[in-house]
Amino acid sequence: MDFDLILVRLTGRILKDEGRTAGPLAAPGLRIQPVSRLAAAFCCILFCALSRNAVFTGGVLAVLLLRTALLPEDSMRRALGKTVLPVLFTLLITLPAVFTGSPGTMATVTMKVLESVLVLALTGEALTWQETTGALRALHLPGIFVMTLDMTVRGLVILGRYADRVTEAVWLRTVGGRAQSSVRNAGTGGVLGGTFLHSRRIAAATEEAMECRCFDGEYRDGRKTRLHRADALYLLMIPAMAGLFALCERAMH
Amino acid sequence: MHIPDNYLSPQTCAVMGAVMVPVWTVCIRRLKVSLPGREVSRMGVAAAFSFLGMMFNVPMPGGTTGHAVGGTLIALVLGPYAACIAVSTALLLQALLFGDGGILSFGANCFNMAFVLPFTGWVVAGAVRKLLKNSRRGDLISAGIGAYAGINAGALCAAVEFGIQPMLFRDAAGNAMYCPYGLQVAVPAMMAGHLTVFGAAEVLFTVAILGFLQAGGALSFPDTGGRTPAAVKVLLTALVVLTPLGLLAQGTAWGEWDAGEIAATGAGYTPSGMRGGALLQALLPEYSLAGMPAWTGYVISAAAGAALLIILFRLAAGLLGKTGIKRRV
Repeated sequence: MDFDLILVRLTGRILKDEGRTAGPLAAPGLRIQPVSRLAAAFCCILFCALSRNAVFTGGVLAVLLLRTALLPEDSMRRALGKTVLPVLFTLLITLPAVFTGSPGTMATVTMKVLESVLVLALTGEALTWQETTGALRALHLPGIFVMTLDMTVRGLVILGRYADRVTEAVWLRTVGGRAQSSVRNAGTGGVLGGTFLHSRRIAAATEEAMECRCFDGEYRDGRKTRLHRADALYLLMIPAMAGLFALCERAMH
Repeated sequence: MHIPDNYLSPQTCAVMGAVMVPVWTVCIRRLKVSLPGREVSRMGVAAAFSFLGMMFNVPMPGGTTGHAVGGTLIALVLGPYAACIAVSTALLLQALLFGDGGILSFGANCFNMAFVLPFTGWVVAGAVRKLLKNSRRGDLISAGIGAYAGINAGALCAAVEFGIQPMLFRDAAGNAMYCPYGLQVAVPAMMAGHLTVFGAAEVLFTVAILGFLQAGGALSFPDTGGRTPAAVKVLLTALVVLTPLGLLAQGTAWGEWDAGEIAATGAGYTPSGMRGGALLQALLPEYSLAGMPAWTGYVISAAAGAALLIILFRLAAGLLGKTGIKRRV
């Protein structure tokens, strides 16, 4: 199988896995509201992006790793698995920094990527996609933004599954050595073309479904978000992160 | 009790490392038979407890400090073979990331804290347990006595390793090349602390955690589908948050001074082996972050160390599970 086909298949696999339905990790009485989780995750990524030193990132990363370590085993493996590719990719593209005499830059950027992806992976483990879009609306993000994000992600998941299935079929069909490379290239093009046509079909079907159900693009969260004591404790992480951020910035400059 | 690099001669380090290789081999073989894959992940939590326990420094009159190890605790919960591997891994992480204990002297540290300590503690606790009634109190008493015996046996071994250096390795001027204190100094200095304060700390650490786990029903780490029991989570988080208490103890543990400090401790000179010895620059030396208050570095190091140990053992458990680990029939 040639490299293009492997890439198409890998992309399909990743997108397919993103569609997995997350399960609640805590008992219902102790469950933290999705909006609290999302707010804390956003703040964590924001502070991480703004920090100009490795200490804040390293500190938050240590806490996130401890949180990951205490997850159920399957969740832990899934969360860590999602960080592998982005971290390797970041290491690869920041490698020149080592040769230009700034290995610290490579370490800091890689840690920032690891932290950001791990935050999202942990949020993904705790929330279903529906809960995530509901929480985005509760955070007063514009409906058009939530709709675009929702449809894009769902579309990508469906196309990922489709591409994965078709690529597997092409892989099984492809036999022979180098002489058959034109057939394999045709296979890659065919998968991409077929996926494109499939995307048009599902886009048209989605539009029809929206019209039939009078969906005007406005996402309404059916449940009212009520914050409990557990949420208050969870949200205390935000001032704690802000404090650590200020401390690190002051100490390092 | 963490022997830094250059306190022991390379020859001593090589011998101690060579002694530990068959010990680790036997432990891993025994674990492969007795511990199913999923249970290996419990060793990560146990290693994290040991790692955190070693961060709580306890002061002693005279300016020295020491700490609990938790080897007997792990031996009683998971068995001595698991304790040996768990404490060895914690020591490796400490040496590589935090510069606590040397790389060359890793074998010696493992011999003292990962082999002698848990096995002695386990044997003594087992013997005492047979003499006492079958009750929760009996478990705790035997665990406490085992922990006390274990840490003192480990400390005695470390003292002997220190003490034989001036007898074996001297330079042309007649000065010791490595640890300058002989047995007549090293043994009383090490044992005075461990027979009193540090021994008590080990007993307290072992009995308190064992009692807490017993009360929380998490002593046997019940199989909860790969989830960590709530009592264990609470305890780990509390230990991580409370680690800065270890900073209240000022001073350096006996036998853990820097090369620059040793002359002022009474030796009168810096041994030649220490002056020119190799030293690995750790990522977070002495659990600190440059420019940051000491407590932040301590908490971050505690969280990172505990997390890495748990993740490492869990991933290993997954691999062992996949390869179909044998189970004792």
